[in-house]
Amino acid sequence: MKVSGSYVVPVPQERAYALLQDPAILTKCMPGCEGLDLIGENEYAMRMKMVLASVSGLFAGKVKISEANPPASFRLIVEGNGKIGFMKGEGLLTLSPSGDGTNVQYEGDVHVGGTIANVGQRLLDTTARMLIKRFFEKLASEAGQSERRLAAD
Amino acid sequence: MIPQSFEYTAPQTLKEALALIEGGERKILAGGMSLIPLMKLRLAQPAEVVDLGRVPGLNYISETDGVVRIGAMSTHHAVETSPVLRAHCPLLAETAAMIGDPQVRNMGTMGGSIAHADPAADYPASLVALEARIRLVSAHSERTVEASEFFQDAFTTSLEPGEIVLEVEVPVEPSNEGSRYEKFAHPASGFAVVGVAARIRKSGDRIAMARIGVTGMGTHAFRDRAAEQVLESGGTIADAAAIVGAGEQPNSDLFASADYRLHLARIHAARALTAALSRAS
Repeated sequence: MKVSGSYVVPVPQERAYALLQDPAILTKCMPGCEGLDLIGENEYAMRMKMVLASVSGLFAGKVKISEANPPASFRLIVEGNGKIGFMKGEGLLTLSPSGDGTNVQYEGDVHVGGTIANVGQRLLDTTARMLIKRFFEKLASEAGQSERRLAAD
Repeated sequence: MIPQSFEYTAPQTLKEALALIEGGERKILAGGMSLIPLMKLRLAQPAEVVDLGRVPGLNYISETDGVVRIGAMSTHHAVETSPVLRAHCPLLAETAAMIGDPQVRNMGTMGGSIAHADPAADYPASLVALEARIRLVSAHSERTVEASEFFQDAFTTSLEPGEIVLEVEVPVEPSNEGSRYEKFAHPASGFAVVGVAARIRKSGDRIAMARIGVTGMGTHAFRDRAAEQVLESGGTIADAAAIVGAGEQPNSDLFASADYRLHLARIHAARALTAALSRAS
């Protein structure tokens, strides 16, 4: 399944890029993410608990950042496995200035399998888009807060 | 196909039910047409389930002062066959008649369906078109929200933990109004690939009011205000239907691509509006 879109984050490009590489920020922004532990260069082990409607599942997986080209682009790879299914997503994130903020454009591919994909096929696209939207909304609000903290210092 | 073991409670009063679900940890069973299949697949594994099926006073459909009130535990079958709804709000009865299959309609409830908020459920299209109000209660509070604010995202509503849907309020459709729900049903699941609810109120020869609710297109049902505007400012049904869903990012799955969904939405909007207009005359 292809996913693409763009969101504006209300901080300058260098700052937005740094936020997107920060495991603490990623943990807060990725829906259901309960923690990221560094296991290699730009590679993290991830624990995730997805709760959506009545469906809930624990996932264990990896987050990897590659092809880093700061502050313009990088590739984000997310993998997860759980009892109810597995997912693998890979996307190129491209950052460009947009007024006072930064436009983050993403383009990628998501594969979902297992029980969740067998019975939830009609909902995968909707759900993927909703989760990506939540990620960027949370990122925008975290970015706004970190800006205010910087301004206050 | 056998769910993980869970604790089952069937409270006998609303007060008891609200106290049980207060922490938001327990899962609410209101018909079980979505929850039970998910539990059997072990996609949902609630430790405790609270069944609202034996709580009295949640199953009614009545009309007072121009408002029809539908208790949350009214089954789709009850909504479909209610003489009150057939007389005062045929759109909702018609929508219920098109849900799933007879088994689902006999067991599934309006409250359960809207609280689950499947993005392809049928009710939401009609409820947003009707500008329905949804009453929610918890052990400590009671509030009413507009249908268009209730459905927030896929499987996401404005229900807070510990809250349940108490009833749905819809306005009585006046005699100069016509309405219609049209859907393209998925052949296996019966869910709306796309569903469009239309209401038209006439004043003389012109359209005084139009309401269009769309489900199945995006993460949640929405009112297409731009298309409504076209009709209210003298445009034709073809003009209005041609812009339904503009600016939305339609869902896409193996059965229907985004472009096909948009096409279906416009075709069904035209059909629903045409039928609504003829009924308004």
